Amino acid sequence: MKRFLLAGVVLAFALASLLFAQTSGSATLRTPNGDKPISVVSQGGQTYVSAADVVAGLGGTLKPDSTGYTATLGNVTAAFGPDSRFGVVRDDLIEMPVPPIAVDGKPYVPWQFFQGLLAKTASMDVTWDAAANALTVKPIQRDVVGVQVSVANVQGISKIVLTLSAPAEYAIVKAQQAYTVRFKSPVRPPFAEQTYEDPYIAKMTFAGSDLQIALTAPDVVGDAYKLENPPRIVLDLRKAATPAPGVVPPVQPGSKPVELPGIHTIVIDPGHGGREVGAIGPGGLMEKDVTLAVARKLADSLAAKTGARVMLTREDDSVVSLDQRTAIANQYKADLFLSVHMNAAIVKGAKGSETYFLSLEASDELAKKAAESENASGVGNVAGGASSDLNLILWDLAQQTYLDESSRFAQAIQEEMNAATGVQNRGVKQAPFKVLVGATMPAALVEVGFITNPEEEGKLKSDEFQKLMVDALTRAVVRYKTDYETRIGVIQPAPATPATATAPAPAAPRPTTPVPATTTTTAPAPAAPKTTAPATTTTPGTTTRTESE
Amino acid sequence: MKRAVVVALAMLVVAGGCRKKSTLTSNLNAANKVAMRNVRLYYESPRMLLGSENRDVALPESPGAALPVVFRELVKGPRRGTTGRVLPRDTVVRAVYLLPGGTVLVDLGGATLTQGWGTGSHEELLAVYSLVQTATANFPDARRVRILVNGAPAETLGGHISLSRSLSPVPALVEPASR
Repeated sequence: MKRFLLAGVVLAFALASLLFAQTSGSATLRTPNGDKPISVVSQGGQTYVSAADVVAGLGGTLKPDSTGYTATLGNVTAAFGPDSRFGVVRDDLIEMPVPPIAVDGKPYVPWQFFQGLLAKTASMDVTWDAAANALTVKPIQRDVVGVQVSVANVQGISKIVLTLSAPAEYAIVKAQQAYTVRFKSPVRPPFAEQTYEDPYIAKMTFAGSDLQIALTAPDVVGDAYKLENPPRIVLDLRKAATPAPGVVPPVQPGSKPVELPGIHTIVIDPGHGGREVGAIGPGGLMEKDVTLAVARKLADSLAAKTGARVMLTREDDSVVSLDQRTAIANQYKADLFLSVHMNAAIVKGAKGSETYFLSLEASDELAKKAAESENASGVGNVAGGASSDLNLILWDLAQQTYLDESSRFAQAIQEEMNAATGVQNRGVKQAPFKVLVGATMPAALVEVGFITNPEEEGKLKSDEFQKLMVDALTRAVVRYKTDYETRIGVIQPAPATPATATAPAPAAPRPTTPVPATTTTTAPAPAAPKTTAPATTTTPGTTTRTESE
Repeated sequence: MKRAVVVALAMLVVAGGCRKKSTLTSNLNAANKVAMRNVRLYYESPRMLLGSENRDVALPESPGAALPVVFRELVKGPRRGTTGRVLPRDTVVRAVYLLPGGTVLVDLGGATLTQGWGTGSHEELLAVYSLVQTATANFPDARRVRILVNGAPAETLGGHISLSRSLSPVPALVEPASR
């Protein structure tokens, strides 16, 4: 018996030893330029590599400072610090399974640090081969096509987007209750099998170069099409013979009828929804309910007053992710996007409307470079619509191209809201709103009033006040539409009239209040909303503060 | 004999298992003098901007070690009646790291931020930038702040302000007297 107990103790410590003991040794760094020895440490099942050895092996330098270490590889600088399992390269995070450690005073990082670093900056693949005791760095194979899968159910359509690392030939085969996307080159799948809680998609399975999409019912049908830059395959699934619900039928990218430039499609985004209730007033009024009520009325009003197609990002009390909201606007090639919210503040008595458009960090080198690249390639300038398909890689930077038009739109909203409600003018501001970042059209977010103020909460739930706001927002959209279409020459400017005209002239000064105002001076030339606006007619936004408190 | 071998083996394994783990973290409290230092903490002012509240806090000299202490002081909330709390009352500062290059990683937790903070743009904007302003105003090495929630990148704190990039201070959000 004692012998068994002793054996059990030994086994327990052996396991503990395996988990916590630290063993050190040497390994090989394999790069396209040859092999080099590196020091490695194994601890708790994790392999750490000597940061100095690997950086030197890659031709770079590693320098300590008071907060950690900085690795420089060519023109790329990456940093890691004590205790943090996140490193930083440019403005991006490199996630490691565990923090770096020090052995004999020298820094050792999980080998995944270099995997993340080189994948993000050099298109290199880094793998650790325990059997060969080698860290291998090699270019990501171009002949193997990487596939990323995203799925969204938008207004009754389940949209599968396969984003490819390189163009690839493929065929789509329909079976009774499944589709198979058959690639003609090897693929690197993101997963082997994944199930979905989706009305039409039950499961996706990668088998060799095939992606099998199991459907939930035999009467689910799909339309597939290709997009470029980056290469994507899009599969829209819906019930057969059932038009998609929504304010208007879905539009296939590329199938939009040729129409004159101008504002033809408007997407209204009722903020929050479902379990994401937003702010709650002292009387229990929920932001998600007011935004939906206002957005519905606004959609009806805009459809009647502008003749534009108007869509909502949600039509009921459902959760819609922030990315999905802009994706809906982008999918329908909207010319204008307005997100409707109610504000909240600790300060008692806070009241008034605020209108925001996007700010991006001026220091964001990645954003600037990507935006420059986008402009140079003409992807961001969607004149004529020939290259207007959204580049998903740059999705999070898309709005940068439209900042000037967004500023004009926001200014029109704020002025009309102030005039209609007579409430305190909190001004037009800029902030890095998630819901605005990916919009490929002029976009703004209006905070109609402070739901946390009992007085404003009472107003916000009344039909009269909601109508007042809807009318103001409608006037703002009509005014911006007229202004924009006049500037691009689609409609002729109204003849000069005596000072009785209610709409301000397009060239009127547009004071804005940039809160996180950093990018109006760095933004690329303003782009028109899906049209051919002459750039000479637009002017960069000014930065005069107009808040009156 | 067998028993002796087993016991010897066990002792070896114990010795291996007890080997002291080495980390990059030095004992900063011992290496740096901890002293009462004056810090500026940013809360909401009556004019709905960020106003500073000065407070003496026992801090180590090293910015890397001092930052977590300052952030934990910040989430305790204001002491003066003239400024308002901007982060949810149950916010927890899980960790703070100052990385080379000036990026501060702040890892937040707590029930409200974990379960979904129901708030408006204004309140969320000030909450996010109170962290940015507090870090950059007190530590010259801190230039921008990246916010994580529960150890992972987060989309937003409450559905509005994007946290997908690090954020630099925005003077327009701060009371002129507190800049």
